[in-house]
Amino acid sequence: MAKAIRLISRQVRNETEERAQAAEEILKSLADNKDAVLSMIEMAKELHEMKVFETAGALLKQRNEVGVIAMQQVNQPAVHNVIKSGFGLFQFLGGLQPAQLETLLNGVTLGLKRMSQTGEQGKKQSLWKMRIRLRSPAIRAAMTTMVDFMEGMGEAFLRSREKRE
Amino acid sequence: MSNSKFTIEINGKEYNAVEGQRILEVARAEEVFVPGVCYHPDLGTIQTCDTCYVMVDGQLTRSCTMKVAPGMKIDTVSDQVKKAQYEAMSRILKNHELYCTVCDNNNGNCTIHNTVEDMGLAHQKYPFEAKPYPPDNSHPFYRYEPDQCILCGRCVEACQDLQVNETLTIDWSREVPRVIWDNDVPIDQSSCVSCGHCVNVCPCNALMEKSMLGNAGFLTGIAPNILAPMIDMTKEVEPGYREIFAVSEVEAAMRKARIKRTKTVCTYCGVGCSFEVWTKDREILKIQTKTEAPVNGISTCVKGKFGWDYVNSEERLTKPLIRKGEEFVEATWDEALSLIAENLSKIKEEHGPDAIGYIASSKCSNEENFLFQKFARGIMGTNNVDNCSRYCQSPATTGLMRTVGLGGDSGTMEDIMASDLVIVVGANPAESHPVLATRIKRAHKLHGQKLVVVDLRENELAERADLFLHPKPGTDIIMLNAIAKYFLDQGWEDASFLQERVNGLEEYKSSLKKFSLEYAVEKTGLTMEQLLRLVKMIKEAKSVSILWAMGVTQHMGASDTSTAISNLLLVTGNYGRTGTGAYPLRGHNNVQGACDFGTLPPWMPGYEPVNDETVRAKYKAAWGVDLPENPGYDNHHMVEAISKGKMKALYLFGEDMAIVDANSNYVHSTFEKLDFFVVQDMFFSKTAQFADVVLPAAPSLEKDGTFTNTERRIQRFYKVFEPLGDSKPDWLIFQELANRLGADWNYQHPSEIMDEAAKLANLFAGVSYQRLEEWESLVWPVKADGTDTPLLYTEKFAFPDGKARLVPVDWTIPFDPGADFDLHLNNGRILEHFHEGNMTNKTEGIVHKVPDVWLEISPELAAERSLEDGALVGLTSPYGHVEVRVIVTDRVKGHELYLPMNTADDNEAVNRLTSSYHDIITHTPAYKEMGVKMVVLELSGVPPLPKHNHRYGNRIPQISVKVEEKWQRSDYTPISEIDDLKEGFYGESDQAN
Repeated sequence: MAKAIRLISRQVRNETEERAQAAEEILKSLADNKDAVLSMIEMAKELHEMKVFETAGALLKQRNEVGVIAMQQVNQPAVHNVIKSGFGLFQFLGGLQPAQLETLLNGVTLGLKRMSQTGEQGKKQSLWKMRIRLRSPAIRAAMTTMVDFMEGMGEAFLRSREKRE
Repeated sequence: MSNSKFTIEINGKEYNAVEGQRILEVARAEEVFVPGVCYHPDLGTIQTCDTCYVMVDGQLTRSCTMKVAPGMKIDTVSDQVKKAQYEAMSRILKNHELYCTVCDNNNGNCTIHNTVEDMGLAHQKYPFEAKPYPPDNSHPFYRYEPDQCILCGRCVEACQDLQVNETLTIDWSREVPRVIWDNDVPIDQSSCVSCGHCVNVCPCNALMEKSMLGNAGFLTGIAPNILAPMIDMTKEVEPGYREIFAVSEVEAAMRKARIKRTKTVCTYCGVGCSFEVWTKDREILKIQTKTEAPVNGISTCVKGKFGWDYVNSEERLTKPLIRKGEEFVEATWDEALSLIAENLSKIKEEHGPDAIGYIASSKCSNEENFLFQKFARGIMGTNNVDNCSRYCQSPATTGLMRTVGLGGDSGTMEDIMASDLVIVVGANPAESHPVLATRIKRAHKLHGQKLVVVDLRENELAERADLFLHPKPGTDIIMLNAIAKYFLDQGWEDASFLQERVNGLEEYKSSLKKFSLEYAVEKTGLTMEQLLRLVKMIKEAKSVSILWAMGVTQHMGASDTSTAISNLLLVTGNYGRTGTGAYPLRGHNNVQGACDFGTLPPWMPGYEPVNDETVRAKYKAAWGVDLPENPGYDNHHMVEAISKGKMKALYLFGEDMAIVDANSNYVHSTFEKLDFFVVQDMFFSKTAQFADVVLPAAPSLEKDGTFTNTERRIQRFYKVFEPLGDSKPDWLIFQELANRLGADWNYQHPSEIMDEAAKLANLFAGVSYQRLEEWESLVWPVKADGTDTPLLYTEKFAFPDGKARLVPVDWTIPFDPGADFDLHLNNGRILEHFHEGNMTNKTEGIVHKVPDVWLEISPELAAERSLEDGALVGLTSPYGHVEVRVIVTDRVKGHELYLPMNTADDNEAVNRLTSSYHDIITHTPAYKEMGVKMVVLELSGVPPLPKHNHRYGNRIPQISVKVEEKWQRSDYTPISEIDDLKEGFYGESDQAN
């Protein structure tokens, strides 16, 4: 004989019990990870001394306002240019062929070496002698390369001008 | 359409194609990339996005419209093609700002994101332009953001032609077009039924579930005043989309780590929709549909799409409860199970095994139902096990088992869609089986399917029907028999079908003597003209399907009317072919499966009779126990036996019998007589209030299992969450209890239970979890090799001689409580709430749409009694009394009332009024046979149905998105006429043929 009843006596755990259980769980986790926790505390101490927490805490609390300011600062033509140039530089490096670059850089290295030797010895050469040296295959190769380089650069300049027009 | 196969050439390579396929479909099947944003496999061709242009034999053509032809040469890669596609995509991006990393739709499945990326687009031709409309956040479940809307029209196509609710259109006439709801009203005030189709198909974030917003991404919760400049800056500095996409892809990949996607099967009606549920910890982010879902594809209804809050409801039971005096006290599982084991053992010992009844759940899985009947029969030694099909579908099952042999739908949704003529008798699928109804509405709207609705109420399908018949309550069988007789009299029956495949014709013919059309006119109140029109429609249709539900089965003559439906189908030869057959629409997600897996008093799993010795021997060999021989009590018997003191204890799970059984006053007083009552549920239900022990069970999202839908389709669902609190999956509870009562069960996973069932029940011989992985499904009977049977009776009927049986049936005069009770009381479900609402009323948005129950009265009755919307009336039947507020509507006529069942309130629930009269064969309560008298308590009041309910909306029917209006706009230039493509002539190609 059971009438319909709605009353449910729930074992609502009181706050003290819940806290005790939570504390127990935390302690267990701390004990299980003793070494990690201790080194974290050590690190936290250093960070605290450096006022890192204080700063970061303030930043976090005011994250929306700070975010707006930051975006205002960042969303400027100058910053756009920096980022765009960054992308440009990245693309430039990406476009280079490693083998070509290697040849070029070898040339630059050797050139610099010779240059520094000349610089150290400090001996001037007569125009005549220099004219004779222009005939050497090494100099001619370098000159041709430089002219080709200029030609390529000029082409890019012209293309860019056309595009603008 | 013939299916001839041939090859076509794409970019110089040959590919196989089938006649009727479109170029885009062939390309996608062969993984040749062709962009396409508006095309969707479930929606077909829309022609708004223009991104799918390809070159066909030298002409630029939309690949989504052009059908393949043998030897066709297609180019998808040339410069001209790329230019055309680039132009189209740029037009889209003018309407859509790409801020993918901070977009909640960046989950790897955004059509726009993926298309732009696959096209390798670096920049867009036209800058983004915001639209002059604010976002519409009025609806509780989803928002529309015009600024992100690319006007592809997928949502409109889905709403107009797949869901066929006809709410969304694109207004192409305004300066800046946009999607509008009804006549441009806020979404919440429109005719939107919250089905989610539009959100499911949106190719971007314009239409999104509110539960996703600010929630899905790592960065999407950023405040708008930071987000906007961030987006601006990204756009300012981005070198191209490729680099930006790299970032968004990393973010999308990271989301996968915290957003879990799990396939599940809907736990509401019997249609059996499947989809993914996306979750973050215990939070449900959204329901994501998949084209692969065998029943529903991308379709959902409001409950399946948005009604899942009950899973995390604070009202969930999380601990076992034991009655102590006047209150329930929380207990441990050990205490609760010990108490149950002790009491059930004692009662069994003192009063015999049949003094205990077991009521199973059609909301729970096949495996759980199998295990429960195994527990009742194998451990407790009784066949007193039944499920809630007793309240709904048992008469339909009986009608089919009598005539064609198997108690299930004859075919699948494919057949219903393919049918020439669909007849719906006593069912309201648009509200009770919404996704199934969409398929009928679509076939009717687009493909010339004819539709007849026989019902008291002019429900949505009735409004759309070619013929709506409103017979007097409880007279359907007369109409059905009279039509069958007329066919036979005229010699219009399918004589060869009857000759070759059906027994009992002569006896059946002679049983029909009195059912002349004149008799039908007299008894049903239908006109001769109406009946002849129905006859003509059946005669002219090449295939007929008949669908029915509670309007047939909840009568005293329910099994006989169901039989008459099947008889009529046999007479007209409408079985065993595509598009034909009988379709009792199962109400719960697993009514079919609960019955299939043996929670019925006379049947072991797979409908093998308990009184058959060979069947029992098979189970004895497997389980090592003798099984009781005689069929047990059904629900109705059990209530009677309790009342007479013969039944002492009841174990019920997943069923609120105190509300859903008819004549609830009587049922309640019966429960009070029980010595011991165990109720297992997710919630503290009305029934639980009578229990001695209440066990907390876990819903489908917290366990693995399978459900069987109305088509007989078995589908797997996967565990999403751990059970809440101390609740447990039902199967695990049965196992733990069985083991306390001497069993030695050790099922580790429901798949092992299914393996056992498949081994024992012939119907499921080839069913296994491996064959049901993810979106795979099996429609029973399933042979041992895994071959399933979507369409039954193609060669023989399920009787030993393979022939169907015509079974004579007569009219049972409906229950009449007397002249005092002058109003007929009809009742049923509504779209938004499931049943009494114990699951759906946990979802705030659904309650916003339907906060209360209401009583529908006709304008005639309203005038007669001077009632208006909101008036409070009292209804009294010989069995009880309720008080409800009225809505005046022409959905009901004359002195007929409709009281939905979406309330658990004692003072409103319809079963306070219904009687214990029942179907004479199956004992299904005759819920639909009741008269009441009405008294007016308050002449006016707050209408119980808010104006922002879809029933007050104003639909705007049209076919598709009317893309021609877009093409006629002065600012529209056909892609092939843009400057970049002008040099050559590529032709106008809006139409494929």
